[in-house]
Amino acid sequence: MKHVTFHFVLFFLLMMPLINTSCVTEEEFSNSPSGNFEALWKIIDEKYCFLDYKHINWDSIHTVYAKSITPSMTNDGLFEVLGGMLANLKDGHVNLSSASNVARYWKWFEDYPENFDDSIQRKYLKTTYKIAGGVKYCILDDNIGYVYYSSFEDAVGEGNLDQILSNLAVCDGLIIDVRNNGGGTMTNATKLACRFTNAKILTGYIQHKTGTGHSDFSDPYPIYLDPSSNVRWQKKVCVLTNRRSYSATNDFVNSMSLLDNVTIVGDKTGGGSGLPFNSELPNGWTVRFSSSPILNVNKENIEWGIDPDVKVNITSSDYEKSIDTIIETARKILKK
Amino acid sequence: MRKVLLILGFLAFFSRGYAQIDSLEANRLVTTANSIGVGGVNILDTYLSPLEYKGTEVRFMNEKMHLTKFFSGHVSAQRIFQANVSYSKNPTEDNSAFSGLVNWSYALHYQFKVNDHLKFLVGPAADMNLGFIYNLNNGNNPASAKLYANLSASGMAIYKFYLGNRLFTARYQANIPLVGLMFAPHYGESYYEIFTLGHNSHLVHFTTPYTQPSFRQMVSLDIPISRIKIRASYVFDMQQSHINSIKAHTWSNIFMIGFVKDLYVLKPSVHQRLSERLKAY
Repeated sequence: MKHVTFHFVLFFLLMMPLINTSCVTEEEFSNSPSGNFEALWKIIDEKYCFLDYKHINWDSIHTVYAKSITPSMTNDGLFEVLGGMLANLKDGHVNLSSASNVARYWKWFEDYPENFDDSIQRKYLKTTYKIAGGVKYCILDDNIGYVYYSSFEDAVGEGNLDQILSNLAVCDGLIIDVRNNGGGTMTNATKLACRFTNAKILTGYIQHKTGTGHSDFSDPYPIYLDPSSNVRWQKKVCVLTNRRSYSATNDFVNSMSLLDNVTIVGDKTGGGSGLPFNSELPNGWTVRFSSSPILNVNKENIEWGIDPDVKVNITSSDYEKSIDTIIETARKILKK
Repeated sequence: MRKVLLILGFLAFFSRGYAQIDSLEANRLVTTANSIGVGGVNILDTYLSPLEYKGTEVRFMNEKMHLTKFFSGHVSAQRIFQANVSYSKNPTEDNSAFSGLVNWSYALHYQFKVNDHLKFLVGPAADMNLGFIYNLNNGNNPASAKLYANLSASGMAIYKFYLGNRLFTARYQANIPLVGLMFAPHYGESYYEIFTLGHNSHLVHFTTPYTQPSFRQMVSLDIPISRIKIRASYVFDMQQSHINSIKAHTWSNIFMIGFVKDLYVLKPSVHQRLSERLKAY
């Protein structure tokens, strides 16, 4: 009997830790106006990466907007309050999405000149332009190559880029137009940029949050641009930008601005240097927010955009004559 | 008549062997079970979402168990391979996630025999796990990779009993990881940064029951029916971690059904002596 007791004791001693195994859970908020408000506030509080950089007092924003939350408010009312709270972040990468609407902050381009008109652009592209992947391209009358990449969401293959650059090899210079390119996949931007460098260069740094605190960041990790092993462009390049050159396009312009033969022409980019993550609220609304800041080569934040080398707007007189002042400026630079 | 003689010869050969099974040859008797099951799963991974997803999991399990020669045959070895996939939804059911995990474990148990019916098994186990959770909503944080290995404590109780003249086997088993290594990104680190930019330092973490309070437990009943043995089992698999302020859990409650076979593994020299008529290969 003693023998049996020993075995029982041994067995249950071993199993004791199992009984004490605790559950790993996350704080749960109710699917109510206040629950959704608190959930959204917490997501931004713990995960948004620019609170300190933008000098945003997120606690006081909680105090202000919590007053607008009532148990009986409608979904539309709640959406308006939450969208208003997020607008304080002044970030185009921050969106709240419900089934009926997307809350956004677009003042980074809405308050500035358009500096792009696709009806004017068509005068340059004509009807004979070529399409390769997500890229439209043609040779302008003065033997300048023109490439328009409207979104880095659209993929372009290495074979596409080989063909584009080979077809434009006879040109005296190359315009890469990324106006109204609101970003997309970073690897598409890098794939294009690496066609314009012959050496590996440092283009900037990336950080990520290491904890829930507003200043919990990793050391900046370097980002390099490696030269493509395929066709590379050796002549002069102008990159055309406007305020709607955003996110991955901002990153593309940052890389291109470091290259010797490249001139950035147009308006300041829209910025958007935070790599966005997604999350969601108890009511199923989804939220997108900047998570990892990308810095330039001097470890400076480029969230607010990158200034061009040559600042130029489309003038109203040129606009009336269907002339793209920015393209014309680039042509002059490339013809020098 | 020749067939009858062949079978009798085969049985006679093994009846000689059974005399030794209590000692050295016992390690050649392998109990193998293949089971499939379905059940509920609760999934949380705060890298992807602060919400818990709930859904259905399908699981396959292969288990092999046999005695070894260690400690005069008092130690048994157990190998388990299991794979599961699940589909789950968030509380408002307007977003979904897929997940999957492959687990391989090997345990050595010292067998404490209480009486002819009951024995307790305790010992160490090692396991490796590879899996993922894929959230259909997210852009730059769409997935969470699961890669970890553990050294665990394992315990088992086996109770054999007769109903009528049929021998049933009931078993309870629990494994708890004590130390291990686990892949985990930093709190806000994107997989783009890890895999595209190559910033892959400090991604492997040493785990303890504090950072990985997981355990797997299983209750099974082997039921002899005619010439076969059916295994009905319930698995509660609690995989959890709390590393870099990222909380994750996958709680699976799975009911499984399968078949059990007791196989005797022949030595090559014995196999060579057998008549070719007995060999399919």
